[in-house]
Parts: sequence; C-alpha cells; structure tokens
Amino acid sequence: MLTMMGITFREGLNRKVMLISLVLAVIFLGLYGTGVHYAGQSFNEHPNPMLAAVVYPQLLSFGLYFGGFIVSFLAIFSAVGAISAEIETGIIQAVITKPIRRRDYVLGKFLGLGLFLALYAALFFIVIAMIINIKTGLVLDGQWRALGLFALQPVVLLAITLFGSVVLPTIANGVVMFMLYAVAVIGGMVEQIGWLIGNTGLQQAGIVTSLVMPVDSLYRKIVHLLMNPTNNPLGALQQMGPFGSMAEPSVWMVLYALSYVMIFTGLAAYAFGRKDI
Amino acid sequence: MDMAIETFNLTKKYGAKVGCAEICLRVPRGQIFGFLGPNGAGKSTLVKMLVGLLFPTSGKAILLGRALGDIEVRKKIGFLPENFRYHDWLTGQQLLEFHASLYKLGGTAKKRRVDEVLDLVGLAGKEKQKVQTYSKGMRQRVGLACALLPDPDLLFLDEPTSALDPIGRKDVREILVTIKALGKTIFLNSHLLSEVEMICDAVAFIRQGKIIRQGLLEDLRTGDIQVEMKIGGLTPALTAALASLARSIEIEDDLVRIRVKQDEDIPRLAALVVTGGGFLFEMNRKRSTLEEMFIRTTGGGEEIC
Repeated sequence: MLTMMGITFREGLNRKVMLISLVLAVIFLGLYGTGVHYAGQSFNEHPNPMLAAVVYPQLLSFGLYFGGFIVSFLAIFSAVGAISAEIETGIIQAVITKPIRRRDYVLGKFLGLGLFLALYAALFFIVIAMIINIKTGLVLDGQWRALGLFALQPVVLLAITLFGSVVLPTIANGVVMFMLYAVAVIGGMVEQIGWLIGNTGLQQAGIVTSLVMPVDSLYRKIVHLLMNPTNNPLGALQQMGPFGSMAEPSVWMVLYALSYVMIFTGLAAYAFGRKDI
Repeated sequence: MDMAIETFNLTKKYGAKVGCAEICLRVPRGQIFGFLGPNGAGKSTLVKMLVGLLFPTSGKAILLGRALGDIEVRKKIGFLPENFRYHDWLTGQQLLEFHASLYKLGGTAKKRRVDEVLDLVGLAGKEKQKVQTYSKGMRQRVGLACALLPDPDLLFLDEPTSALDPIGRKDVREILVTIKALGKTIFLNSHLLSEVEMICDAVAFIRQGKIIRQGLLEDLRTGDIQVEMKIGGLTPALTAALASLARSIEIEDDLVRIRVKQDEDIPRLAALVVTGGGFLFEMNRKRSTLEEMFIRTTGGGEEIC
C-alpha cells in the first residue's frame, strides 16, 4: 500500500494537470492579492471601518470559494482516471499481478492522491489567509479547523471520483463528477437564497444536495468558522451573498463528510476487488 | 511429477460468451511451455486468469502448489503482459525499483536485483533515461526485466518478442533458455511459432476456448512425419498399397506426399514402391513444422467466439 501511495503521490507531482493547476493558482492568487492590496490601500486612504468590516470578509469568502473551485477541479482531474485510465492503458496489468492486495492498490491510490490534494489545498488556504491577514489586518477565528476542512474538500471529491474510476470509464466518470460538483455548488447557492428569503423548500433542497455531495456545505462551515457571526454584530451582513453562509452547517455535516469519504473509498476497494481487468 | 501449473476445468464466461471452457492443463516445473492458438481463441483469457487479472467463472487452478489467488505465491511469479505499458515518466531504474518494491524487495537486495536484471536484458547504462524515451525494443526489455525481478520460479510471458528485432529476439531466447537452465518454468504465449519451436519443451493448442491438443513437442511431432517421394510408374495398386500405410496421402503427377505415424514406416514405403513395380527417383523425410501442426490443429485464422 505504501509503495502505491508513494508512486501515486509522485505521479500527482509529475502530471501536467499539476503544472496547469500551479500556473492557475499563481495567476489566481496574484490577481486576488492585487485586488485585496488595492482594497486595503483604499480603506487606508479613506477609512470607513463599517464598510471595511463588511468588504474584507466578503473578499476572504470570495478567495476561499474560488480557491475551493480550483482545488476541486484538480481533485476531479487527478482522480478521474486514477484506476480506469490504468485499466484502459494496460499499466495496471503489470501492477496488480504483483504480491499486492487489490484493496491495498485502491487505498494506496487514495492515500497518495489524498495527501497530494490535501497539501495543495492547505497551501492554497494558507496563502489566501496570509494575503487577507497582511493586507487587511483581518483576524481570522478558528483558522486551523478551517484549514482542515478546506483540505477535506478535495478529499471528499477524491473518494467518490475514485469509486467512479473503478465502475465507470474515464470520460463518463469525469462527466458524472463534474455534474455532481455542479449540483453541490448550485444546491449551496439555492440553500443560501432559501435562508435569505426564509423559504423552507429551497433550504431543504440545499440540504439534500449537501447529502449527495457535501463539498459546498464544508465551504459554508469554513466561512462560519472564520467569521463567527455570534461574536460580530455585522455577521449577518458578512454572510450575505452567494459566497456567505447564512446558516452554519452542524458538526454532523462534517462527520457526514468524513463518513462519505470512508464509505466511497470502501466501495471503491470492494468494487475493485471483484472487477475483471 | 512436480507441477508448476495445474488447472482443473478452469472456465471463464462473459455472459453467454465463452472465454475459456473447462481448461485442464498440467505444466511440469522446469519446462518452457508454449500456449498456442488463433487470435480470439482464449489464450490471453487463460493467462489473465492465472495471473489474477480475471476471476474464473468455475474450476480451479494451482500455481507452484498454491491455490489461484494466493498473494504470497506471486512473490515467485513474473508476468510480462502483452503490450506492456509503464509509468513512462519514470526512468528505467525508477520503474524497476517501483516494481521491485511491489515484489517486497527492499534495501540492498532491491538494488542488487535491479542491477542484475538490467544486465540480463541488456539495458545496463540506459537505466537513467526516462522510459518514454526508450525504443519499442527497449520497452519490451524493461518489461521483461520487471517480470524477472523476483527471480521467479514461474514466468508468464505474453508475446515477449513481438516488438523486438531479430537480434533482440535471439537475446530474449537466450535469456529464456538461461532461466530454464536454472530450473524455472516459463509459460509462453506467442504467435511466433518458429521461436516457440526453438525453445519450447511442450505446447498446448487452444481453439474456441478449449484445449484441443497438448503434449511434449517431440511427441506431437513424432506422430506426424511427412515423406515426399518422386515415383515413376505409379499404378492404382501401388497407390492403394502406399495409402494403407499412410495417415494421409496427396498425389500431384509423380510427386507423392504421405504422412506416416512413425519413422519405421519410411523404409516400408520404399519397399512398397520397389515391390509394387514403381521407380523411386527421390525420397525426403520432412518433419512437420509447428506452423503446419498449428494450422492443421486449429484451422488457423481468427476466431469469433
């Protein structure tokens, strides 16, 4: 399992998708840093503490939301053919005929990719938090727990994409996973609107999509951890908009996301253990 | 006799389609065993079952004394798949080290064995190059090196020389003969019948998923000797006399092709011609080639199961 984990981690670093993701990340963080820099400069020149207290958290949410986007795309692109592409190219034939259990092959892939994605996400989070902290002076609550959840986001996507990679061809898996991710994103926004206008139906639709794909609810939880509205009279304002979080997902949602990871990784190992290559 | 491979009614079905049906094979240790059949006959299906890529629908198999699916026994089994593909972003050395780790080799044993197999397949000095820069032949060699890493007691090779030039093929043949001399067993799937003929001790023919003939190459050949004779004054009576000894007979003008069962029948044929009043101008004993045997046994061509 450790051998598979090692080769998968190294493969993640060597793939073109990693290079492209790094370039995208640098472009994104560069633009983001520039935006935050000028916003901070503007508030320094024309102080408006009330407006700054609303705009800075919005900038943070914006950074984390689109940062999560990039990390999620990397997760799907990295895992979409983790097993199916090796079956399609034939690489797998010389690997799983070695003295290695099939479940160890799957778990090694999961751990290697998971470590790679979690590190990438953590780095992304740290850079965003540093930009915000240095340029705006905003103090973030619960940033370590938020970092953990930010790193968990791609791992959730990895688990289900890895399962898809066992039971579906690579292209079909990619289509399904992007649709699932889109469902989560749209569901999250629908729920946000539901809380804003007090519509129970929209709120429940959002909760159901969170159960199907809990990535977006992890993001909402992160926003809540970083900007706890109970300590802040402007909290409600800060949490408005598509990138805010009007209702904090409970700790049960985090546990659900962790169970989701374990269940789909287990299903991937189970399905692969019975698969004819 | 100690068997490297034994299969008992091993069967693989894909729904209604049969991949392999009731395969019963016995391959003694220390042999090079050729597995032959037309495309689509079920050769790869059997090999994939034996190396653990496919799960049998029914039947069982024993490899090196352990049941099919046993993980530990794989430490002594090497496998070179047909059209072997690699993590080609690795160098040759890194690829071999990765595969050695999968075989649970570590530390100095891993390094020593990697160096040995690089030498054995003629890639020493090329190990620092990325595999994606290797030629087809070099890729085939590095694939063979991966299969040889555990110093296997049983080696499955699926078309091991298909991408090699004549010198490369000769090199691989020599490697296989060397491995055999060490008492190892080699299960060889190959379309290159002349090569199989050169190195195999025994062969099996598969057609439509079923084994239709198997045995030692020598025994299979002995049962099939062709004699070509040029005979003058061939009469119906002489033809009938010759046919009585023959397994089959073909006549084109004065050229007579006869298949007989054993070497002792050859002088009898000559005696029949002389006593039957014919004139024997020429007589050649032709051992049937594996290719002829293959075509006769399998019917040749590609199969659609």
